[in-house]
Amino acid sequence: MAHEGLFQELKVVVGEEYVVHAPEDLVVFEYDGSVDKALPLAVVLPATTEQVSGVVKIARSHGVPIVPRGAGTGLSGGAIAAKGGIVVALTRMTRILEIDPVNRLAVVEPGVVNLELSMATAKYGLFFAPDPSSQKACTIGGNVAENSGGPHCLAYGVTTNHVLGMEVVLADGSVAWVGGRTRETPGYDLRGILIGSEGTLAITTKAVVRLVKLPEAVKTLLAIYPRLNDASAAVSDIIASGIVPAAIEMMDDLAIQAAEAAVHAGYPADAGAVLLVEVDGLKESVEVESALVEEVCRRHNPMEIRTAEDAAQRERLWAGRKGALGALGRLAPNYYLIDGTIPRTKLVEVMARIKEISAEAGLPIANVLHAGDGNLHPCILFDERKPGDTERTLEIGGRILKLCVDVGGVLTGEHGIGVEKQEYMPFMFTEDDMASMARLKLAFATDDAFNPGKVFPKGASCVDISQMKAVARAGAGAFV
Amino acid sequence: MTTQISAYTVDGKTPHTVLRPSTTEDLRSMMAAASADKLAVVPWGGGTKMALGNPPERYDAALDLQGLGRIVSHNPADLTATVEAGITIAALQDALTKRGQFVALGAPLADRATVGGTLAVGTAGPLKWQYGSPRDVVIGMTVVQADGKATKSGGQVVKNVSGYDMARLHVGGLGTLGVIAQVSFKLTPLPAREATLLSGFASMPQAMAAALAVFHGGAVPLALTTFDDDAARRMAMPGSDAWRVAVEMGGRPLSLERQVKECEAALRAHGAARVDRLDAPDPKMSGLWRKLTDFGWDQPTRPTVSARVSLVPSKSSEFLEALEHVPGERAVVSHPAHGTVLVHWYGTADDAAAKALSTTREVAVRLGGSAVFERCPVALKASLDVWGDARDSLAVMRRMKEQYDPGRLLNPGRFVGGI
Repeated sequence: MAHEGLFQELKVVVGEEYVVHAPEDLVVFEYDGSVDKALPLAVVLPATTEQVSGVVKIARSHGVPIVPRGAGTGLSGGAIAAKGGIVVALTRMTRILEIDPVNRLAVVEPGVVNLELSMATAKYGLFFAPDPSSQKACTIGGNVAENSGGPHCLAYGVTTNHVLGMEVVLADGSVAWVGGRTRETPGYDLRGILIGSEGTLAITTKAVVRLVKLPEAVKTLLAIYPRLNDASAAVSDIIASGIVPAAIEMMDDLAIQAAEAAVHAGYPADAGAVLLVEVDGLKESVEVESALVEEVCRRHNPMEIRTAEDAAQRERLWAGRKGALGALGRLAPNYYLIDGTIPRTKLVEVMARIKEISAEAGLPIANVLHAGDGNLHPCILFDERKPGDTERTLEIGGRILKLCVDVGGVLTGEHGIGVEKQEYMPFMFTEDDMASMARLKLAFATDDAFNPGKVFPKGASCVDISQMKAVARAGAGAFV
Repeated sequence: MTTQISAYTVDGKTPHTVLRPSTTEDLRSMMAAASADKLAVVPWGGGTKMALGNPPERYDAALDLQGLGRIVSHNPADLTATVEAGITIAALQDALTKRGQFVALGAPLADRATVGGTLAVGTAGPLKWQYGSPRDVVIGMTVVQADGKATKSGGQVVKNVSGYDMARLHVGGLGTLGVIAQVSFKLTPLPAREATLLSGFASMPQAMAAALAVFHGGAVPLALTTFDDDAARRMAMPGSDAWRVAVEMGGRPLSLERQVKECEAALRAHGAARVDRLDAPDPKMSGLWRKLTDFGWDQPTRPTVSARVSLVPSKSSEFLEALEHVPGERAVVSHPAHGTVLVHWYGTADDAAAKALSTTREVAVRLGGSAVFERCPVALKASLDVWGDARDSLAVMRRMKEQYDPGRLLNPGRFVGGI
């Protein structure tokens, strides 16, 4: 085999059993949670920083690309080997190295699962705030690479607000610390630059993360509306009222129907929208603010309002929302998930436009939203077996993102650009903007070895056909 | 004109010219022209923190950005605002306050300090730290590069991962990679009510333990600052407590009262000799926090040298104990929940000052932290790096400079490692 020498060198560094290169074994690493797929040359599973460094040096000496990978739950193709090469899967580096409750921080390896960290710190009354919907599976290293958000980032912020520093392996195999255990460190904020850089600049091998106090009280309210507009207006009013809830989530009629069929959340069949608002903090303020939220919700003519005071009730209210995406399979064989963010004041306008786009194209769109921060997840429902459906779906996806940008919003709120949206970058950025971004690769001297073929447009203006085919498979394991 | 130009002196170097753009387009063309002429440019906001940094290698032109002082947009219903870099922190906060909002960004001498300058320095003030550091409140930025090109990143929404987060380079980058022209912020609603507890302690360890107890207790302080009697005297505060702890809290009436009660109990349990309460809008309360924020930067409290020390919160006490043995007149203000200790030395001769600074850094580094010398006479700057050591990431930082300012036009030499 052409690459036998490379495989041998890698095996010396990480051990025989942790280099995967048989075609049948590589297939599981061919895709992540997104639409695209690509087969790597090999997958390597290092156990230590030194091994990561060794693997990087070997890959570089052979001139093959390096693709860092966590749990592979990403939704923009960040973890696929777009240009082949070696996937460095960090899922063996799963130790929580330290929990320091006094200074409210933890030091973890990149393969630690997001939710497991919060479970480990719960006994100190602390948690790691970023909570992507994939948190039962996704890793902290992946969160760092993608700057992950989650339903509760409305009040708590996203990953970059919760990471103090990282140990990283650079493209020459050297190990460096960016940031640290303290809030301030001398020099440029390389930590902030690397978080959200989608694995294109460095590989995180340790992270120092902030822990925050678990809220003393949580109250969840579910408001059911006959029309989407009423719910959208309620969201804008809540934000404008001076309350910042922990989460404001929304579903439209199609998402409700799917969720209802799947998890029997008890939503009325004629509901146009469901709004889920969670308020947390000190019990005195939760009391007052949840009452205010309820008052605002009532002003917009809800069909019904339900509240939850304890964890079990809360779980029931969230069940429909959490099950919505997985349930879309009941409505159509395929769906394509979009991730734009808009100013929250544009919610009514943009939701109306999305309905129009859906009607024009003759493809239904179910909407699940992190409405509180304006992060939309329209899901275009289609059937890949019908001629033209896939092409139309991708075309609509582009139109929706263009719409988001046109109203002052952005291409992606939390899923990343990856390979999925790289051709849309010019919607938001000029050549100069992108050239300035691309210089980071030169500053990190990556020689485009880390995760090549991502984030930046390829130069071609149309989306290629392999991506179109892949859309058909999207969604089965996707979280949002 | 000469007298005007001398006002732009940095570390004894005076520029030949002052550039005063009044729009981003002006700024762009001025920077392009400066680039063509290879002029070394020092971006200038309110000029409040120009003491910070290593001495400039070259200095041809001051780039005074105070003419870029507009609020481009404020969307109260969306809790976002976009402003030009030259607006002062005070002017911005005043405008936001009128709509019941604020941006978690503070600075000494806020009626002069600009948004651009404050972000370029990048350090957090004591106020509202609960809502994040300066880097956490920026959601979008337009920068004019050394070559005169304007580039933008981020957007005007609160959740966005489109492209690299370029603003991070410029927050805390001291204007060495580009000139901040316009910034979009995420805003926060003002708490319905605010109150401050000011308490006195007989010793530093007591005060620090009390502060940490508050940090870990039920209250959610918006600001938490401890300071010694020397600092109190320089601020002309009455009383003679060895150390004091100031805690600001906010919220709706019931939750505020509970926080105040729990906070007071924690302070007393740790030996507070007295606890005084101030309630907004009492000018005494805003006055206290203004004095604490301005400490070391306004005329009456200005030290000869000062160090900004960053530690994990639990190490503040140990750090200050180690400093006890260093001779010299000093005053300390610290923000323990943030791990920041500001040490100011007064009237000492250069040798003693140099020793004080080097010991401060030594102890900080030994305890896993770092020290930036925010104020330091030019003579001393020759023999030390005011920023400290960026260690194994310095090589990448140097390449950043090569990429974004290959001609070394922007604040050359003033940043870490002589970048």
